[in-house]
Amino acid sequence: MPALLILIPLLAILALNLPWKSLMNRLAFWVGLALCLVQTGLALQPQSRFWHSPSLWLGNLLLFEPSVDHLSLVMFLAIGIVGAVTLFVCRYSTACAGNRFMVINVLILALTGMNGVVLANDLFSLYVFLEITAVASYILIAFEKGRDAFEGAFKYLILSAVATVMILAALALLMLTAGDLSFAAIQAAIASSPHSRVVLAAIALLMVGLFIKGGLVPFHGWLPDAYSAAPAAASVLLAGIVTKTTGIYTLIRLVTSVIGYNDTLQTLLLFVGAASMLIGALAALGQSDFKRMLAYSSISQVGYMVLGLGAGTVLGMVGAIFHLFNHAIFKSLLFVNAAAVEQQSGTRDMNRMGGLAEKMPVTGWTSVVAFLSTAGIPPLAGFWSKLIIIVALWEAGYTTYAALAVLASLLTLAYFLSMQRRVFFGKLAAGFESLKEGNLWILVPACVLALITIGIGVGIPWLFETFMLPIRSLL
Amino acid sequence: MNVRFLLVPILLPIVAGVLALLFRNRQGKACAWFCTAVTATQLAITASFFGQEWNLILPWGAFGWQFALKLTPFSNFILLAAAVFGFLICLYSAAFMNGKRFLNQYYGYFLFTLGLVNGAVLADNLIVLLFFWESLLLTLFGMIVIGHPGAFKTAVKACIISGVADLCLLVGIGMTIYLAGTMTISQIHLPVGGLNSVAFIFLMIGAMAKAGAMPFHSWIPDAAVDAPLPFMALLPGALDKLLGIYFLTRISLDIFVLTPLSWLSPLLMIIGSITILLAVMMALIQKDYKRLLSFHAISQVGYMILGIGTAVPVGIVGGLFHMINNVIYKSGLFLTGGAVEKQAGATDLAKLGGLGTRMPVTFLCFIILAASISGVPPFNGFFSKELVYDGALEAGRTWHVGWTFYAAALLGSFFTAASFLKLGHAAFLGKPNTDPAKVREAPMTMLIPMIIITALCILFGVWNALPLERLIQPILGEHRLEGHTFAGWPASMTLVILTVVVLVGAFLNHLWGAKRSGSGLGAADHIHYAPGLHPLYDRAERRLFDPYEIGLKITNGIARIAWGIDRGIDYLYDTAAVKITYALTNGIRKAHTGSLFAYLSWSLAGLILIIALILGGI
Amino acid sequence: MTSPLLFVALLMLLLLAGVWTVMTLNLLKSAIGLAITSVLLTLLLFLLDAPLAGVFELSVCAGLITVVFISAISLTKPLTGPEASERDRSRVKRFFFLPILIAGAAWVLYALGLRLDSPLPPAIAEMDVRQVLWNVRRLDLVGQILIILAGVFGVVILFKDRSDKKEAPKS
Repeated sequence: MPALLILIPLLAILALNLPWKSLMNRLAFWVGLALCLVQTGLALQPQSRFWHSPSLWLGNLLLFEPSVDHLSLVMFLAIGIVGAVTLFVCRYSTACAGNRFMVINVLILALTGMNGVVLANDLFSLYVFLEITAVASYILIAFEKGRDAFEGAFKYLILSAVATVMILAALALLMLTAGDLSFAAIQAAIASSPHSRVVLAAIALLMVGLFIKGGLVPFHGWLPDAYSAAPAAASVLLAGIVTKTTGIYTLIRLVTSVIGYNDTLQTLLLFVGAASMLIGALAALGQSDFKRMLAYSSISQVGYMVLGLGAGTVLGMVGAIFHLFNHAIFKSLLFVNAAAVEQQSGTRDMNRMGGLAEKMPVTGWTSVVAFLSTAGIPPLAGFWSKLIIIVALWEAGYTTYAALAVLASLLTLAYFLSMQRRVFFGKLAAGFESLKEGNLWILVPACVLALITIGIGVGIPWLFETFMLPIRSLL
Repeated sequence: MNVRFLLVPILLPIVAGVLALLFRNRQGKACAWFCTAVTATQLAITASFFGQEWNLILPWGAFGWQFALKLTPFSNFILLAAAVFGFLICLYSAAFMNGKRFLNQYYGYFLFTLGLVNGAVLADNLIVLLFFWESLLLTLFGMIVIGHPGAFKTAVKACIISGVADLCLLVGIGMTIYLAGTMTISQIHLPVGGLNSVAFIFLMIGAMAKAGAMPFHSWIPDAAVDAPLPFMALLPGALDKLLGIYFLTRISLDIFVLTPLSWLSPLLMIIGSITILLAVMMALIQKDYKRLLSFHAISQVGYMILGIGTAVPVGIVGGLFHMINNVIYKSGLFLTGGAVEKQAGATDLAKLGGLGTRMPVTFLCFIILAASISGVPPFNGFFSKELVYDGALEAGRTWHVGWTFYAAALLGSFFTAASFLKLGHAAFLGKPNTDPAKVREAPMTMLIPMIIITALCILFGVWNALPLERLIQPILGEHRLEGHTFAGWPASMTLVILTVVVLVGAFLNHLWGAKRSGSGLGAADHIHYAPGLHPLYDRAERRLFDPYEIGLKITNGIARIAWGIDRGIDYLYDTAAVKITYALTNGIRKAHTGSLFAYLSWSLAGLILIIALILGGI
Repeated sequence: MTSPLLFVALLMLLLLAGVWTVMTLNLLKSAIGLAITSVLLTLLLFLLDAPLAGVFELSVCAGLITVVFISAISLTKPLTGPEASERDRSRVKRFFFLPILIAGAAWVLYALGLRLDSPLPPAIAEMDVRQVLWNVRRLDLVGQILIILAGVFGVVILFKDRSDKKEAPKS
């Protein structure tokens, strides 16, 4: 009954908008949190009957019986965790204060959209749920109504619209060829006529659409503005999971179960991945805005995932998915820290900060964990996923790309060290004498995410056996 | 007895060594007696092994390596010799080291050294051998470092030189294992030639360096000054010779089958001859009791290598006989040096003199030991040297160089005699330089080892059949000896007469030199300051010929070049890479103007390129 | 059968109307441009035998887009004369690359030589749209509901509190 992952949030939203306003205002947060935690709990039990038994009376409403594999489970897990963290940040952030109820509603909508993206086994459904997620994201970016927020949302809107046009065009072309848009039908159509120009054009359009959604170079223009202009909660959700689900998960799913690998596609993925990885890292090095730097870092990390996917081997794909999950954790953590710093200090300009760890020790040290993990320092989670990607590239014979991945890792370390030094370490900057640590709403998610990062890094052998290796059934 | 008793000679000293380390420094006396008891037990146990042939194989570590030990007549002989000298020197140390610092460490290392040497000798697996061999570096370092606060530099020098040689040994062992396909020493019998010769040379370097042959000798004279004296008697004087020559013999006799016709044979002989001559020339001009002895410790190795290098039975027997003889008289001589140091408070010959009347027993021992090393009949050194001469002449005939090697050895003998005449004259005769009332004969615990060793010199000379027929000839085995025996009076009377002539010449030379310079100390000055030799000696004394110093200079040069390269690389990383990175970063930043239309254009351009790639590429 | 020339003419008109909608600085004109675009699109859909899609297009445009535009117009104030001329100049400069890129994309599409005249599989061609929506595509229908919900939330959040002094999105 995995279809309930769409239906129940929908019903929850409808219920929340029933008349008892004041009660619902108070309930909204807890309802959202319960949805996220239940999803997380279910995703941690791959053998649960929830995933495998047929839908009952309520689930039948959708006429939708998706099958769930380990890739989906990893995504559900990440969506659940990041969703819960976003709710916490929303609770903490003063920016949300005015319309918290509405924001939580939109947030649940976004989560539903992402669940739908993960569950979809039909290109049109996939498109519809991508749109749900995208519309919810525009609203989340813009709800603060500042000039920057509108600008970021507008850029995202326009480029997403371009992506939508491309995906729709691709759908039309594929519909012409296959007569149906289910993954199985399209796969059969592509397999039967792999050199048809119509099919190839559709693939190219689809790829570009997904690249825009995932924020890969050179389609990333919207991403830094959207991430940095978005309110704290929205940037956690966007960076942590939205672009990864709408861009990278879809890419992985389509490449593995619809389009299939070929040399040109691999070349494309490798090249785009490497370009994103390097340009993102180099750009991050030059930023002085905390969140903007994290945004460029996201581009760079997404590049790793696409690079892993481009290796074309089971190991590469496992690495990409693993990195996706790790990235969801540590990038959320960094944005959570950024939210705490922004709200407590009132600025995002790293040049004005310094020595904040003295006043905000938890934030400072969880950020160390997160950036070490991002840079791939053992034994944290990010090290293993990067290692798997690099080993996969090497084994597949793409030694140059493997070397570039290592190089980008160095750059990652460089900009994060510079960030850490400018923001958290060193002498306390002037004007921050009365700075206080954030409250529990922000510290609890930060600590939980840091513990997950450490736990994954230490528990890698177990995780690799139970969660990562089963993914190989995709290929 | 159980085969596992073979572990006792290794484990007993090592366990006892750990216990010795637990002693407090002020319990030095107790520690000394404890160690003497251990070495005495050790001696008894090894003596009880005599005549046995045992094989012990224990599983060890991974990769199917075996901890294999093997007791053969040869290893038994070395084991016994090591035990004897370990016991005697330990006894001697009880008095000599009394009141010195770090006594617990000294005895600890002492016992470790014994155990490790026993392990290396018994090992029947090349890896096991290497393990024990390399571990000796640790005790070597520790032993020198505890000598006095400034000894650190010497300890480092000793360790680096030995380390380089051990590295060669490691390479050699690796090659041998590869070539032979097994690690078990007793199963390896490789003919020399081709790659095998290279492996042999690497192993040979390791063995010779352990024995102290040139050019791996230069730490020994420095250690003689810095390290505690009984250490000199123990390691460079006895155990190093035993172990080095033991291994050299093993690799020449059965690991590789060295034939007199192989080019490796003259190589060994040349190294031997050069070592004999150069070291003895250096010994001749030394003005310090211990330093002079230490150069002889190097020079005498030359005879052994020369003897073994001949690859004929008489030479090998001579070399091995010379090894045991050298161990006896050299450790004995170091012990007399220790007695002089302890009683007169100095080893600088200029400060000594006239000790003969004050320390008559020591003097007597010295005379007999010096006569032995100089090859005066009927002491042991004479007989072993005659055998080596015989071998050198025989090998010389094979290689059509006639009597060259023999002449070198004989010349070495001349200088050996000359330098000991000078040493004895300067230290024990002549005018006393110290207050004679203060100088007394050494205590009994020091005298007993010296007397026993001196007695051994006489015994092995007069009754040379005992060591030769019972200990050494069995090593070669009947098939090599073809019924010969080398015991008894030397075969060739001519050689004996020549030897005596040389000795008399040395004596006359000494008398002339002493008269010319007016003192025993200056008896060799006419050679020291001879026109051609003086500049060479001068440079040698300034250590310009010391391979270690040369190596250090080369290393410094390389280090300077490496530093330059390093700066360059640093520049690449620290400056150039950073500049390039920031140039790229700035370029990328400038490109991100925030203009939506720029971003749209990028996306469209990307679309066109990707369509072109996918449709054109397939 | 309608002539292909009619399609080309309608498409060109559609393109012109769209560009005018985007380029004009007057929001009212922009709204009229969008309406024209929508009408042209509806016409095209009718000509292509998709009356249901045409009706959807017209109703959505008439309803939702009007609401959005009226809100936008009421939230913004018109530009002054110098501001407008300044924007006029910079606009041309900014759009400089767009025609080139569009021409490039068109050329690529032309060079592809896609043959799209293959007939639809009969199974799809014969299916009724309503039936498809309710029986086959119910998930997508729910998805559409979610999108509309999101849109409603968006309007509520973004247009609430009109006294805010924030400006309209910069384009």
